[in-house]
Amino acid sequence: MIEVLQIPFMQRALLAGVMLALLLAVLGVFVVLRKMAFFSEGIAHASLAGVAMSLLFSFAPLLGAVLAATVFASFIYIMEDKLKSSSDTAIGIIFATGLSIGVILMSAIPGYQPELISYLFGNILAISKQDLWIIAIVSSVILALVFAIRNKLTLFALNEDLALVSGINTKLLKLGLYIVLSVGVVLALKVLGIILVSALLVIPVAISQLLSKSFKVLVVLSIALSEFILIAGIFGSYYLDLPTGPTIVVFGACVYAVFGLIKLVQKA
Amino acid sequence: MQKPSNKLLEVQDLSVNLGGLNIIKNVSFDLDQGDILSVIGPNGSGKTTLVKAILGLVAYKGKVSVNGKPVNKALDLIGYVPQRFYFDRNFPITVEEFLSLSFKGKDLKNNKVCDQLKVDDLYSKMIGALSGGQLQRVLIARAMLNNPKLLIFDEPTTGIDVGGQDSFYEMASHLNKDHGVAIILISHEVNVVFKYSDKVLCLHEGEVCCHGNNYDFDIDALKKIYGDNFSLHNHNH
Repeated sequence: MIEVLQIPFMQRALLAGVMLALLLAVLGVFVVLRKMAFFSEGIAHASLAGVAMSLLFSFAPLLGAVLAATVFASFIYIMEDKLKSSSDTAIGIIFATGLSIGVILMSAIPGYQPELISYLFGNILAISKQDLWIIAIVSSVILALVFAIRNKLTLFALNEDLALVSGINTKLLKLGLYIVLSVGVVLALKVLGIILVSALLVIPVAISQLLSKSFKVLVVLSIALSEFILIAGIFGSYYLDLPTGPTIVVFGACVYAVFGLIKLVQKA
Repeated sequence: MQKPSNKLLEVQDLSVNLGGLNIIKNVSFDLDQGDILSVIGPNGSGKTTLVKAILGLVAYKGKVSVNGKPVNKALDLIGYVPQRFYFDRNFPITVEEFLSLSFKGKDLKNNKVCDQLKVDDLYSKMIGALSGGQLQRVLIARAMLNNPKLLIFDEPTTGIDVGGQDSFYEMASHLNKDHGVAIILISHEVNVVFKYSDKVLCLHEGEVCCHGNNYDFDIDALKKIYGDNFSLHNHNH
């Protein structure tokens, strides 16, 4: 075990994993409570357009993905709020459009694109020092912001009307949540990939919801489970020589199944 | 010398159009500090929409001011108890955590309103596990936590048995007397609200059909809406 921890790429993978697990667990609480799993799924897929664009015009893929995700999140907000489209309609359109733009741009790039593959399926073992810094800084900013407005966000997640009559600017809060969530999702793309990233947002919180009787417990348990699932998944994938992202997701789903079964047995 | 205004809420020419339909048409009224106003009217008369407009939950034309300020700048002076509180019953949040989200003071555990409403016994319970009556007490406590000047109840006794209805109105009356809070009570229980209100406003098809003091209310106007057999059992008229 100690031997593994001395390998530089594993050190970077674990550091990135610990930071992202914390970020995704905190954001995941609001994703699950506001039933936004499809939103994060849609944004992750649509961000392929940004990754492809960055590869085509030779700039940092993470930056391209963040820009695309922010723009698409704003489009979803405008479609819901101004055009009165339902949430799943707006996300469904953006999901497919972003992905299609990504595929069209990719067809203009000659040759094999390993970077693109790592964004599609995730490659935590390819985390660079620069990636680590970006994850550390952006995660800290997002977590500080969420902590500062945690009461407003929780009331908003519970009942939007009650938040509005409490003097909360719910439109701004909703747009802010969409953008922050999009950036958080994109930040984790390199670990889990476009296809799997939203799983780590929802699985730890879904397990915690089975076990929690208070909001405080839900948040603490979600963070603990997220860290456990991500770190165990990274080690598991290393020792079993399996792809990291899918190993993390399958392990998380197994933990959910165990607690789900216990809950069912208790109810019976 | 001009007498200082005692008006807490002023509503002028308020109109609401939803989906091309005029739900509220040029409604004007005001409410003095510490008074209880009941808004009555048959189903579909626009009572709930009127409250939603006052709170800024639906777009409206006209003017709504609280203590002389536009309502969106005075929401901290208003406590609101909705008719139905839609939320995910599996949302794991205790009563204490729920109340803390809105509480601007420092010591929730020794809060007078929570004690008066017997909400402190429920602090450790999940709000999704509360009965209808318990949840209503928690919502009233939440609305009263930051000492509002105006408390709005939208159909507060829907789904509560007769005994529960009486105790609700007694409790609202106590909150009004003990805390000096003005109350707007949206209700279809015409007979009961006359007993507890200072003023009554009756809406019909989005318009004010009669508005006045409890003691000299124009009962004949109500008969036009509720039928000739209508009478008030508890009225002091």
